Amino acid sequence: MRSVNKSLQEYARGVAGGLLFSLPLLYTMEVWWLGVVAHPWRLSLYVLATFVLLLGYNRFVGLRRDSCFTEVAIDSIEEMGLGLLIAFVTLWVLGRITFDMTAGEIVGITVIEAMTVAIGVSVGTAQLGGGGDDDEGEGSAGGSGTDGAAADQQVTFGGQIVLACCGAVLFAANVAPTEEIIMIAGEISAWRVLALALLSLLSGALILYYIDFTGSQKFTQAVAHHGVLAGTVVTYAIALAVAALILWFFGRFDGQPLIGCLAQTVVLGVAAMLGAAAGRLLLQ
Amino acid sequence: MSEKVEKNWLEWGVFGVSLVLVLGTLAYLVYEATTLGDQPPIIEAQLGAPQQQAGEFAVPVTLINRGDQTAAGVMVEVTLESNGAGAEIERGEFSVPFLPRGATREGRVSFRTDPRAGQLKARVLGYEQP
Repeated sequence: MRSVNKSLQEYARGVAGGLLFSLPLLYTMEVWWLGVVAHPWRLSLYVLATFVLLLGYNRFVGLRRDSCFTEVAIDSIEEMGLGLLIAFVTLWVLGRITFDMTAGEIVGITVIEAMTVAIGVSVGTAQLGGGGDDDEGEGSAGGSGTDGAAADQQVTFGGQIVLACCGAVLFAANVAPTEEIIMIAGEISAWRVLALALLSLLSGALILYYIDFTGSQKFTQAVAHHGVLAGTVVTYAIALAVAALILWFFGRFDGQPLIGCLAQTVVLGVAAMLGAAAGRLLLQ
Repeated sequence: MSEKVEKNWLEWGVFGVSLVLVLGTLAYLVYEATTLGDQPPIIEAQLGAPQQQAGEFAVPVTLINRGDQTAAGVMVEVTLESNGAGAEIERGEFSVPFLPRGATREGRVSFRTDPRAGQLKARVLGYEQP
């Protein structure tokens, strides 16, 4: 069992991470509007999808990875609860939530913001800690995500995919709800879309395999047998899928022709790819 | 690996609160989703009593959306018509960026003529369905 002080520290780390990663979204007006407009089914789906992502992250890379499922689930629920709380308080302080709003509005805005905060909390708890976990009792089996202890502990292929998803979500979610994506996608020519896709692939390959980015050694050790091309393409596929999902959640595909959706996905895919490549190396 | 989950009181507390928050939020969303109809926005405009300020007359207007969907960019026009013939004396307008379902928003329209000299009529000109 951890001491109360220790867990207080851990929660504070989570709160810091949550704010750090999601502040751009908390300050984005399109997201507030979306919270009001989005259908409750879409919001519940958003909550469930985030929960699955949190389970994955906590299972493969979180603070207490390899611990039993109950513990992973408990951590995920805590992170989500903290996310809701942080989002609510921040939005209230910002004056975006007032008590003469309807309950539906308040819940909508809070939920749509809280999900990214929750992922930030999860990453913050696992990543922002200093090395000093020697005073942790036998309760924690996996050790923390900090280098020394975890360097020899490789993240499996499934873990890599979850990590890439988390990185992509964290980076892409900040840009996805802005009007700029629609504007760029609406005015861009087909050749430029292609160029963006190639640019994403190139930057991904460089980050993952060539420029010796922090953590990339660990990554290449884990998946060396897949080769550069396969690794990059798989990462880009994840990035595109995440980008498309986020855009759909944010209602950006509503009433758009297929080609418009595709262009938006590729445009957002640049951010998602950076997250899936560089982000995941930083997150592991 | 199956070890017993050991937590101190703070962790159990945070977990408890989180569980209530998450389940509560989900329950509310599901409740909303199941009770939600697909009525387009039904916007009602109510006029308040005119107040004289700085030589002008400000008329408060309250908008209530009784439909199931949000209306965006709601434009409201208030006309002042003469008592007898119904001729338009003056016109004012304002717009509200967002009017979620069930929500109430307030605005004011100002007139140079004393609105008590005629009849005020409020009308929603149009809105966007986001």
